[in-house]
Amino acid sequence: MSEQQSYSYENDCKSDENRNKGASRWSQCRKRGADGSLRKAEEDQRCSRRPESFTTPESDGPVSRVKNWGDAVEAEEMRSDVRRDMHRYRRRILAVDVPQRDRKLSSGSSDSRDSQNSKDSTAKGDIETDEAVLVRRQKQINYGKNTLAYDRYIKEVPKLMREQGVHPKTPNKFKKYSRRSWDQQIKLWRVKLHAWDPPAGDLQQIEEIDLGEIMDFELDVECSADPESQCPSANAAALSLAEDSFRGTPKKMMKMEDAEMS
Amino acid sequence: MENSSKEDYKIQSFDLETQKLLKTALKDPGSVDLEKVSSVIVDQSLKDQIFSREAGRICHTIVQAEAKQSNGNVFRRNLLNRLQLEFKAREETRKRSTQEWVCLVSFICNIFDYLKVNNMPMVALVPPVYDCLFRLAQSDSLKNEEEVDCLVLQLHRIGDQLEKMNTPLMDELFNLLRDGFLLQEDLSSMGRLLLLEILEFRAGGWTLSDTAQKYYYSEVTD
Repeated sequence: MSEQQSYSYENDCKSDENRNKGASRWSQCRKRGADGSLRKAEEDQRCSRRPESFTTPESDGPVSRVKNWGDAVEAEEMRSDVRRDMHRYRRRILAVDVPQRDRKLSSGSSDSRDSQNSKDSTAKGDIETDEAVLVRRQKQINYGKNTLAYDRYIKEVPKLMREQGVHPKTPNKFKKYSRRSWDQQIKLWRVKLHAWDPPAGDLQQIEEIDLGEIMDFELDVECSADPESQCPSANAAALSLAEDSFRGTPKKMMKMEDAEMS
Repeated sequence: MENSSKEDYKIQSFDLETQKLLKTALKDPGSVDLEKVSSVIVDQSLKDQIFSREAGRICHTIVQAEAKQSNGNVFRRNLLNRLQLEFKAREETRKRSTQEWVCLVSFICNIFDYLKVNNMPMVALVPPVYDCLFRLAQSDSLKNEEEVDCLVLQLHRIGDQLEKMNTPLMDELFNLLRDGFLLQEDLSSMGRLLLLEILEFRAGGWTLSDTAQKYYYSEVTD
């Protein structure tokens, strides 16, 4: 992300002068130009040409699509969180001498590599490093973690007691997966979390559902077996899936607002 | 204890009811209307010069408290968006009241100083902060002592951070300041002094040498 911004019109003034007068760099500091005219006149001209903004706005990256500072800073924070997570993850992977606890590899791989191989391949850089991808994945994870079901789950089942296959496990955003594979893992994870939804008596009004939480799914992902969903478009599909997740699950205030719809 | 926390945040200028609101926001942000809190803080910063230079601290504490309590950032988002509106209207504000304008700049810079993202300054605020400083470095502003005073205060406080975020822009800004110092005839002598000091300050790596410190500040203590 470029941080180079230029305040260009002042420069234009001066560089022109330099070119014309030719002399040393001190010439632009003299009260009079080489032709004897006072510089004051130049200054008045500059004043009337003052731009509205002195800094050229950044034209690259997600910041340019963002309209307000609140969103810009949230996006900044997500990227910085994800970068920090990546450094920690890398250190953790490289530091682990004992076989990894996680025997179950990515859903995409069918062969059973031993943990040493797996560690080597991640150390060699076979981890997801694309910031945009990591941020998108983190948003999806945040939606799942910002639920009462998740809160109840982690209180009830300490990490060490988790059994593979039985207890939901947050997908690892640093592993290489295809988009479809990742989206599917998230879907399955969230469905599993429903087992910890609070009892039906705690149901709150529909109005409290934050419809801002549109999940970021690929267009051709099928709708879940939800009788309410009659969805042709991806938007509606995502929405109905989100609603499916919400069913019977009162939500805490969401930290994230709109997810990116690709 | 109660008194010292009041002093820390410099909220004495608020009416009692608002002080209560702020104190509650600091301890239990989830229980108050954070949009109102941010609005109240911005409003006051534009009126009260002392508060505008210190408001960042209370904002920082509320942001932390909210993040800890509910992982939310309603307060920060509202604060920044309101600040953005004020920033957009800065030229009108300046025409209407120099006092309000310098308060606005102090406040934006103070927020930049205190509200960090993972211990890093907010990148999104860098262009607006520079915009304000560049505006203060224009010749019509340099001839107002009040504006020069504001400019050098901000550079003392956050100049080094700003420079790290964007060095070429800082270079440009200082070119303007040098020009102003050398060429502008309608500067007050205090204005000139302030500019000279800040030029030396930056040249010294954002600090004053002992002799320069003596030169500029010994008369203050005498």
